[in-house]
Amino acid sequence: MAISVNNIVKKYGEYTAVNGLSFELKEPGVFALLGTNGAGKTTSIRIILGMLAADKGEVLWDGKPFLACDKPIGYLAEERGLYPKFKVMDQLMYFMTLKGMTPDAAKKAIDYWFDRLEVNEHRNKRAEQLSKGNQQKIQLIAALAPNPELIILDEPLSGLDPVNAELFKSVIREEIKNNKYIIMSSHQMTTIEEFCRDIVILNHGEAVLQGNLNAIKKSYGRVKLTVKAEGDITGMAQQCGLTITEETPNGCSFNVQSEEQAHKLLNMIITSDIPLIKYELREPNLNELFIEKAGAKNEN
Amino acid sequence: MRTKGWKKVFAFTFKQYVKTKSFIISTIIMAILVAAMFALVNILPVALSSKDSGDGDSSSVRDIFDFEKVYIVDETGIVTDENITELVNNGIKAERSDKSADDTVAMVAKTEGVQAAVVFSADKNANGNIVSYTERTFYSPNGNKMASALSAAMTEFFRTCNVKRLGIDLEAYAQSQITINTRTVEAGQEELNVFAGMLHYIIPMVLSLMLFMLIFVYGNTIAQSIAIEKTSRVMELLLTSVRPLAVVIGKVLAMGLVSLAQFVLIIVVGAGSMAITAPFGIMGQIAPLLSNSELLAGGMANAAAAGVDIDQFSIAQAIGGILEKFTPVNIILIVLTFIIGFLFFALLAALVGASVSRMEDLQAAMQPYSLVGVVGFFLAYYPIIFNAESLADGSAGTNSVQIFSYYFPISSPFSLPSAVILGQLDTMQSVIAVAILAVFTVLVAMLVSKVYEAIILHNGSRLKIGDMLKMAKNK
Repeated sequence: MAISVNNIVKKYGEYTAVNGLSFELKEPGVFALLGTNGAGKTTSIRIILGMLAADKGEVLWDGKPFLACDKPIGYLAEERGLYPKFKVMDQLMYFMTLKGMTPDAAKKAIDYWFDRLEVNEHRNKRAEQLSKGNQQKIQLIAALAPNPELIILDEPLSGLDPVNAELFKSVIREEIKNNKYIIMSSHQMTTIEEFCRDIVILNHGEAVLQGNLNAIKKSYGRVKLTVKAEGDITGMAQQCGLTITEETPNGCSFNVQSEEQAHKLLNMIITSDIPLIKYELREPNLNELFIEKAGAKNEN
Repeated sequence: MRTKGWKKVFAFTFKQYVKTKSFIISTIIMAILVAAMFALVNILPVALSSKDSGDGDSSSVRDIFDFEKVYIVDETGIVTDENITELVNNGIKAERSDKSADDTVAMVAKTEGVQAAVVFSADKNANGNIVSYTERTFYSPNGNKMASALSAAMTEFFRTCNVKRLGIDLEAYAQSQITINTRTVEAGQEELNVFAGMLHYIIPMVLSLMLFMLIFVYGNTIAQSIAIEKTSRVMELLLTSVRPLAVVIGKVLAMGLVSLAQFVLIIVVGAGSMAITAPFGIMGQIAPLLSNSELLAGGMANAAAAGVDIDQFSIAQAIGGILEKFTPVNIILIVLTFIIGFLFFALLAALVGASVSRMEDLQAAMQPYSLVGVVGFFLAYYPIIFNAESLADGSAGTNSVQIFSYYFPISSPFSLPSAVILGQLDTMQSVIAVAILAVFTVLVAMLVSKVYEAIILHNGSRLKIGDMLKMAKNK
């Protein structure tokens, strides 16, 4: 299976929500669709799901146009939605039968996921009687119980407590192991970094950074320096041509032009006899890349 | 296929809705009310007539006898002492008052007993000619319950006094007072008896009101159901499995079936109530007449000769005339009109439901929908309000507003069923009217499906009609 999103464009009047987005999912794993609020993530997802028609471009499943309702796709929407007055079990059965499952298969799958997500005692409650976190679990069941090949998770961890967030993460890891294709959108960069192989960062509907996350990081090199010492190192940093970008109890952060610049600062600290507590030279993390790319464009 | 999965939406919507408390409670309440109403309509006329004809007579005479004193004040000079003696001989404790009317009334007002003062006066015009007589019965505080009966008896007494005074034979006078019914019938139209005229008036009123209620109650429910799906964001989940058109078709048809089922259930309960109470009510008296087609065809004179109660015969004849119209073709036309009409309004309601992003906006969004319904309803209701006579005498088929209401798709669901039942349109005209409604509904369905798909994921302020059409065009 392969999903190709080719140069999709969506406009609302004069406003361009998505402008020429393209990416491919050729192998199982997690693809991250990132962006600030209003960047075009949800619009892109809705186009992939066929809920919205693109003005230009196409979305292909194994090289062919498709209707989401004909394909095994699981979707956890950003805006959570369940029928508030209906029993959880009734509505899950409904969602499963709409996916083409037989009642027996649907019940078996739902039972498995009730146990897996620890919500068995809520099966006969109305959705409005459940906490937000438990409602989110029910929606994850609706997305995963049909055993879809493609899973689209829009902000899957938002609003979850740490325990349930970990539960969701373990489920996502399982799905990755089961060779599922996952498109994930989230503002929690550490989570994305934990799971994603490929990313695209959208800003005002345009892809501003795209590709394999490790390769992107490597292309930047080790340019993020963090130093914590028991004395003032500001003067030495200036002598090395470095400016502090952030100062926290964990130390001072710098953007370096080259690794030599960082090593020069390290040598100066060592020779000055100021006790060094921490020295870290690393590639930028996803959060820093995101702020650089999405933030820079916003400033423009 | 854009409609794939509609049956699953239909089944789920139907099952979930009939399980709701509001549906169960409202159905039970309506069934009880209808059963009670049908039972009352059946029993009440018989109960009242037996009171009037049997116990009624004796009780009124007894009531009049219960007056300890009835003072007669005659300002006309018509009532003679012999007349008063006759009254006394008939058991009424009457005597001529020697006081003025005011004094007599004052005296009666003060008494603690059961007394009355009856004042007869003449009303004259400017030339001094008598134009009318007035009978006034003033009762003592303890005599109020019998006063009406006494007043009626005294009016009749005064009339008899006057007839005697004029030297007219009482028997001849009674013969001259037999009621003459009048009827105006357009040549070539069916001649209706009084009850048939009433049915021709009542049936359009009831049918149009019924559909109006169905459309409003279930239209609101459909709009609410779609709006809940949209505002609770369930729609996004549904759309990964089915197309929007399948959702709207499934929902509209499910709610249509719910409404039809509730409606049929209520009719069955009403008919059951009528059947159970038949032995005690008017239906028990009319049913044997209804089943005697020879008698019904024979006309009123024959029925009277056969000793059949004329009123009962008239009712049976009117109902029989209506039942005759329930031919298979007419039944199909009526059911089609109801179903297509309901679908038309249900599709509009679904569109309204899809246009809001917050439940609070729904009532305001429903206003244009309500307006369309009200316009259709009033076009159908117009002859009932402004041209009732044409309904009663069966000439409504020539009324231009009513003819328009039969063919205009917004009003035809309200007016067509009764027109078919009452024979105001022939079969071909009815088929044309239903076909116009069907074509219009299909066009509306195509428009609604296009607009619906464009707006169902819209979040934000409530969409106006222009916005919806623009979005559908841009989709």
